[in-house]
Amino acid sequence: MTEGLDKTDYDVLNAVALKKMASADAIADAIGGDPQQVAERLQGLAGRGLVVEAGGSALPTDEAEPALRAAADQLYAPVRADRTVGELVERFETTNSQFLTTMSAWQQVDVGGRKVANDHSDAEYDGKIIDRLDKLIARLTPLLDVLATHDPRFSAYPRRFRTALAGVDAGRTELVSSPTVDSIHNIWFEFHEDLLRTLGREREE
Amino acid sequence: MIRATLTFAEADPADVDRLGGKGAGLARLTQLGLRVPPGYVIATDACRHYLQVGGLPEGLADEVFTRLEELERASGKAFGSGPVPLLLSVRSGAPISMPGMMDTILNLGIDRRAAVALAQATGDVRFVADVVRRFHAMYAETVLGALDPGQGLEVLAAAVGPDDDPGEVYDRIWAACEKQLQDDCGESVPDDPRAQLLGAVEAVFRSWNTRRARTYRDFHGIPHDLGTAVVVQSMVFGNLSADSGSGVVFTRNPVTGAPGLFGEYLAHSQGEDVVAGIRTPDPVAEALPAPLLEELRTTCAELERTYGDVLDIEFTVERSTLYFLQVRSAKRTAEAAVRIAADLAGEGTIAPAAALRMVTAEQVRQVQRPGFADDDVAEARAAGRLLTTGIGACPGQVSGKLVLDSDRAKERAEAGEAVILARPVTSPADLHGMIAAEGIVTATGGSTSHAAVVARALGTTCVVGASALVVDERARTLVVGDRVLPEGSEVSLDGATGELFEGAFPVATPAAATAALDGLLRIARRSGDSTVLARVTLPADVAPALAAGADGLVTAVDDVLAATGHIDGLVQSLLDGADDMSAAAFDRIAELVEEEFTPLLAAAGGAEVGIRAIDLVADEARELLQQTAVTTRHPALSVPLGRPALVAAQLRGLAAAAAAAGGAARPHLALRHVSDPAEARALRELAAESGVPVGAYVTSPRGVHHVAEIAAAGDVLWLELRALQAAVFGLPARQLLTAEPLDDYLARGLLTCDPRSSVDPAVVGLLERVAAVRSCPLGLRLSGTVSQETAAQLHALGFRRFAVDAAETRPLVLALGRAAAG
Repeated sequence: MTEGLDKTDYDVLNAVALKKMASADAIADAIGGDPQQVAERLQGLAGRGLVVEAGGSALPTDEAEPALRAAADQLYAPVRADRTVGELVERFETTNSQFLTTMSAWQQVDVGGRKVANDHSDAEYDGKIIDRLDKLIARLTPLLDVLATHDPRFSAYPRRFRTALAGVDAGRTELVSSPTVDSIHNIWFEFHEDLLRTLGREREE
Repeated sequence: MIRATLTFAEADPADVDRLGGKGAGLARLTQLGLRVPPGYVIATDACRHYLQVGGLPEGLADEVFTRLEELERASGKAFGSGPVPLLLSVRSGAPISMPGMMDTILNLGIDRRAAVALAQATGDVRFVADVVRRFHAMYAETVLGALDPGQGLEVLAAAVGPDDDPGEVYDRIWAACEKQLQDDCGESVPDDPRAQLLGAVEAVFRSWNTRRARTYRDFHGIPHDLGTAVVVQSMVFGNLSADSGSGVVFTRNPVTGAPGLFGEYLAHSQGEDVVAGIRTPDPVAEALPAPLLEELRTTCAELERTYGDVLDIEFTVERSTLYFLQVRSAKRTAEAAVRIAADLAGEGTIAPAAALRMVTAEQVRQVQRPGFADDDVAEARAAGRLLTTGIGACPGQVSGKLVLDSDRAKERAEAGEAVILARPVTSPADLHGMIAAEGIVTATGGSTSHAAVVARALGTTCVVGASALVVDERARTLVVGDRVLPEGSEVSLDGATGELFEGAFPVATPAAATAALDGLLRIARRSGDSTVLARVTLPADVAPALAAGADGLVTAVDDVLAATGHIDGLVQSLLDGADDMSAAAFDRIAELVEEEFTPLLAAAGGAEVGIRAIDLVADEARELLQQTAVTTRHPALSVPLGRPALVAAQLRGLAAAAAAAGGAARPHLALRHVSDPAEARALRELAAESGVPVGAYVTSPRGVHHVAEIAAAGDVLWLELRALQAAVFGLPARQLLTAEPLDDYLARGLLTCDPRSSVDPAVVGLLERVAAVRSCPLGLRLSGTVSQETAAQLHALGFRRFAVDAAETRPLVLALGRAAAG
């Protein structure tokens, strides 16, 4: 087993693990760092067998999760002890399930009890969902703010959400849920994974 | 004086600019004679004034209250009082719907007196507690901008007992809501109903300028000075008495499209109860008293006629009086969309062109060949049932029993089973199994291998190069990693994504929709002005293609020889033969063409059959044709007329086949990659003796450049869109047949146009040049799925003759009918 990860290594490896596969540029964007520095860190992590490089992107190895878990136990003990975080996280559970319902309403429309794919021909229907997403993201703000006081990297999430929402309003609706862009769905999903790791919890279901 | 406001009864529904979309809709319904709860619209002028001046226009408040008195008289209810209190819904209504605008506020007008009166009228204190809580939260959130107001206070309302004093209940709930709001943001919801109303009106005006609304307008070029209207409407209560209730009804079944009301009604309830799933509603036809049901039926039928569409209608019954709350176009399944369009046209409710506009090519595709449900696929993935992913070689989604050899595949299929054939690799010895199977998956080979070429010719779902598969013919198992599937296991195959799943997916059978689809396609053909030829390969393909509405057929000599097991022998003879092959050396080809095309032409009867000549450099068949070896030995075969004898042999064979098939046969031969008028003229000379009409099959920008002269030298002209796009992009044409590499490439933003699904702007100019051809029949050969937009675009460019894969016949017939109907 390798020695513990320092904070920057953690941030980089965490971003790789959350994205499953990511370039140095994408990682730098997600953690608010410098691409050159990220690339160097990736090399170090590759040397320790925690990531592999393939086609200009880094992928986590099986060793990445245990290493991150061990590092998070050290790094985030104060976050885990913060009662405000605890309370906000409880509220997040509700917000998260509302988010999932909203996402499935974006993808599928209920028709007399049958689900059919949303063909996005009803601007009013889609508009309501986007309004809802806007509100749900606003509901994350208190939690993200508190987390950012512990670790500034959490402030990347509000920034990414803002960018995605602005794009959606400008007509780029793929930024709602497309898996191939930095969509609201992707950002939310990454945040959820990140939160669970920070708190040392397992995903339910 | 009344200036800024208009009642639903007096407003002009066409004046959407002043009334907004929702206001105009309610005015329209009211004036159609529908019983809509009375209300009025504050026109957009007032909003514009507010935005300019920063305050409500002078006199607006008075006007709003004058209207309120009218509402009290019309509804027999009293605002902020009893015996039945008047509660209002207030919502925004811009001329163009946009995100970021204020949501509806319901139950506005509740105060202590109204709450007590409502409790007496409904006999339900807990309901009143809930109304108070919900109103407070809605107002706090939408008007005051509070985040999550009223959280945790549901318990307080739920704890109210049936015998609690309504006044005390109101005080308790209101105080708790106010305290929470104070703690959260220091705001307060007015307890005076009139102040509530003005506050809500102002909030609607303010919401015009939220960040999201502004961004949306900027992007969509909507002027910032339109302003929004405010819709103020009286609320009706479905929970006043046993002869009250609420429901939702579709004018036809939105799942199947079957005629007859489809919906639910719940007596003694408000709409929210149904939505929240608190109580289970009953089917309208059973639950609604007969006179009301009759009224609903009549009204629904009239509305359908007026709107020319199936509608989704929300209604409430208040003390045996039926009120209509909302009427909108119903969302529906593909199956229902087809049936509804056919039925409405059949009943004469809508014009043929309108019926065609109600259905998309994609919906036709879903109805004729249902695929997997997204949920099922996601579930299978989550459960680890995805076995492996290969290269999708021919799209389609099929489930069936796994079979590992072709004899057994044929046997099982003849016994009526759906079969998925898995082979390490396919050869001509597998043809009978491949023809019998619903799907084909191979472990080796690429998108131009035998399996891929034959599957595309047959239109059979196919995945190739699934290298994780090991077909163990001895043990009769398919091994994928550490998983072992015995022959006969259920598997599912997706020929677009290349995925192979363990287990079957339910595929909805559209039996009921088929007749409707035929009816709709008849309308499309009558409205259309285009000819559609379907790709076939075997005689058995002909009848289904013609039944799908094809006007004629296309095929290719190499496809037919591949599907009948001759291609390997042909390639081998080329590799074994002398360098300078004589005319006699091609006699075998003439014989094979005669043999295999006689039954095909006979099946086609009098229908036109466009035949593409053998293309030994077809990029989509490079592995199958062993192109490197063949063209190394015979470089002359790389150019269309490098060996005229090869073309002459095919013409001889076709002439003989046409004669043998009977006098009605109408074949013509087209030669791929012709790019020069001289080639076209040489081709015609070559064909003179056979009597078979010939023409060029253009694939290159140079061919397009000379298209007028090339056309003049032929009896027909074909242009292959996929090949032309590939040439313009400088990509091998085979890469336009598979998901990868282009899916990934497009996802990375490195191409701005997907040449598989849309016409590139760089190609449009070329197509214009081709579309100008008038000297002979001009056809466009399309591959894969053709979207509604592409069909319309090609139609607009002037093309009227198309050839498509057989499965695309119906979608294209519809799309072209729509395009012609405008």
